[in-house]
Amino acid sequence: MNAKERMEAAINLMPVDKVPNAPFTEAPVCNYYGSTFKAALLEGPEMLKAHMKSLEEFQFDWVMLGMGLIGGIIPEALDCQVKYPEDVFPIIEKTSIFSMADVERIAKNNVFTKRMDNFLEGVTLLKKELKGEVPIACEYISPFTIATRLRGTNEIMMDMYDDPKLVHALQEAIVPLDIALGKALIDAGVDYIFYGADMECPVLLSPKHYKEFVHEPTKKVCNELSSLGAKVLPHMCGDIVKTGIVDLLLEMDIHGIMPGNITQEKVLDIRDLKEKVKDRICIFDNINPNGPLLIGNPEEVAKETLAHLNRAKEMTGYIFSTSGTSSPFTPKENYLAMDREVINFQWN
Amino acid sequence: MIMTDILNSVIEFNKTAVVDHVTAAIKKGIPIDDILNKGLIAAMDVVGEKFTSGEIFVPEMLQAAKTMQLGLEVLKPHLAGDALMEKGTVIIGTVKGDLHDIGKNLVTMMVEGAGFNVIDLGVDVDVEKFVSEAQVHNADVVCLSALLTTTMPIMAKTVEAFKEAGLKAKIIIGGAPVTQAYAQQIGADGFSDNAPGAVELIRKLTAT
Repeated sequence: MNAKERMEAAINLMPVDKVPNAPFTEAPVCNYYGSTFKAALLEGPEMLKAHMKSLEEFQFDWVMLGMGLIGGIIPEALDCQVKYPEDVFPIIEKTSIFSMADVERIAKNNVFTKRMDNFLEGVTLLKKELKGEVPIACEYISPFTIATRLRGTNEIMMDMYDDPKLVHALQEAIVPLDIALGKALIDAGVDYIFYGADMECPVLLSPKHYKEFVHEPTKKVCNELSSLGAKVLPHMCGDIVKTGIVDLLLEMDIHGIMPGNITQEKVLDIRDLKEKVKDRICIFDNINPNGPLLIGNPEEVAKETLAHLNRAKEMTGYIFSTSGTSSPFTPKENYLAMDREVINFQWN
Repeated sequence: MIMTDILNSVIEFNKTAVVDHVTAAIKKGIPIDDILNKGLIAAMDVVGEKFTSGEIFVPEMLQAAKTMQLGLEVLKPHLAGDALMEKGTVIIGTVKGDLHDIGKNLVTMMVEGAGFNVIDLGVDVDVEKFVSEAQVHNADVVCLSALLTTTMPIMAKTVEAFKEAGLKAKIIIGGAPVTQAYAQQIGADGFSDNAPGAVELIRKLTAT
């Protein structure tokens, strides 16, 4: 099986020849192989160079992109003031939504900016070079998480009680833009839309508020992108099983779920999630990117990786990953140790 | 009864009621310290417990903290001398290169709610600023927050700078990517993964 066949088999809950190996590689890849972190994150030809080098060394089963998109390009296209440092992720310096008039204004924005074009060029170049053998995944965000970027997280969380109309209106304005950008990604060659629910996870929001504010706009975008042919894979931190959020996610046209950590010290047991989703969709298991992977040594990383793999042995629809973005400062020897364990693991 | 009303108005984030009840309590001659400690601060302790147990979430915490602040505003002109500083001074900020503030703001509100004097340096705070502000305010505890994995190393640099400057302030860290193991690795005095936990930690570190 090549990487694409392996990932597709796992997503479709079919047998695989070995564990699909799909960690959130983008930040370390940009750091290890980019001429600068920023260039490999945002500039087409540099993105291509960095990710192709990483595939040679690590043999990942996907290329993962998108931190620059969700952290900088999208908020900037919607009038936030964004700083792009050379060595770290983009930083939103000033939010753009202070009133309903701002919501009406950004709804008319052209989101296909020069930076967006550069990013899409990177996707197109990678698609051509990968010849359909390795899938491309792109991180993406929900209307609610975009709303928190534009309005400010504290502000939007206060608005849920003080000005709920604004929260709804802002997301309504974002939905068509989110779909348009997602469609452009799919047209350029993205196979998997990795849907990060950073700010609506049950660590931060109650299930009641999730239902009231987040579920419908998210469902609209996910279903639309799914109908365009992408595999939609939501990622959410917190205990999505106990809080019942997983049931709401399953109402959408999704193809897999990546649970996140409940806290950085505690991770959801993948077997609980499997029991819940059964053979409906695949599961991205994941190790904590800020644990041994970031601050331990290769032996500790190998031990943690093996513990995950052994827990899931022979599970259908299983893909190995990291729980969200790995730090660019992850020691390369640790990443290689994780990679080695996954590649050599006797799955069957 | 009026103390229970103050407590409940914060827990239920009834902003009008908290102002009315605190005003009434002052008029009634209830000791100011009691209104503060047994009313407003006790309420925030309950809010913290509810957050830790998963009964309430961030929007509710923010609303409760805002309500508590409104009550505190009514009380402030009546507080004798440095009543709010008696428990200690805490400096807080999100480290350089990081503009995320939700965790920092929650901790700020909870720590203020627990009666500490909090100096919030905001976001994107460089190492030198943490050091100089800690010196100026004779801080007991410094709280460093980071959401990005890219900015976590600044925490280590800040801890190092405090050691080099010979400052005795305790340093605690928090934020989504931060762990207890990381705190130990960089020599911080503590870690919390949530705002109520940060309050407890600060209380322990400042206990005499």
